[in-house]
Amino acid sequence: MKNRLRALRAEVGWTQAQLAERLAVSRQAVNALEVEKHDPSLDLAYRISVVFDRPIEDIFENPHRQQSQR
Amino acid sequence: MPAVTSPSFVVASPTRRYVSRTFFFMAIYALLNGAAIFGVFDAWIGTPTGWVLALAVALPIAGQLWALLRLIVDSDEYMRVLWAKRVVLSAGIVMVACTAWGFGETYAGAPSMRTWLVFPLFWVVSAVVWPFVRSSR
Repeated sequence: MKNRLRALRAEVGWTQAQLAERLAVSRQAVNALEVEKHDPSLDLAYRISVVFDRPIEDIFENPHRQQSQR
Repeated sequence: MPAVTSPSFVVASPTRRYVSRTFFFMAIYALLNGAAIFGVFDAWIGTPTGWVLALAVALPIAGQLWALLRLIVDSDEYMRVLWAKRVVLSAGIVMVACTAWGFGETYAGAPSMRTWLVFPLFWVVSAVVWPFVRSSR
């Protein structure tokens, strides 16, 4: 799933490990999210939303919204 | 800068626990087999009591599989899917290979395989397969 996680993380100056600690997941999970090898569960998406204080759709592109607009 | 609250707990490392448990169970496995090789159980071998030794050696395998299941359960959502995919893929390859070999024994006169080789074979296959499984999809 396309997302802005890497850009947002860079904005606040965190390493993957620091973000992983805040999200209570492994660093590998953060990396997999950033390189789009893992689609987060709703629970993890909400946690990411809280950590960056942004709505989920500001972080993750909603592919279903794009499809419905075509 | 967004308001961020750090979690009030430290993320435990399921991998570290898994490695410790693996060393523990594999040490028992190696000790029992080593003792058998060096003749400690010679009086049992070839007798019905030998089953005690056979089961004792198999129990650490059960422990190791329990450790693997705990690793899957305790990991985060990404690693959980990764471990599950890796285990299913490795076990599947071993099952197919052993089935093929078994029928090779029946139909093609292949030499008989020691069934205890299944567990080491699983880890050999795992070592090859696991690095290639990197996506949760």
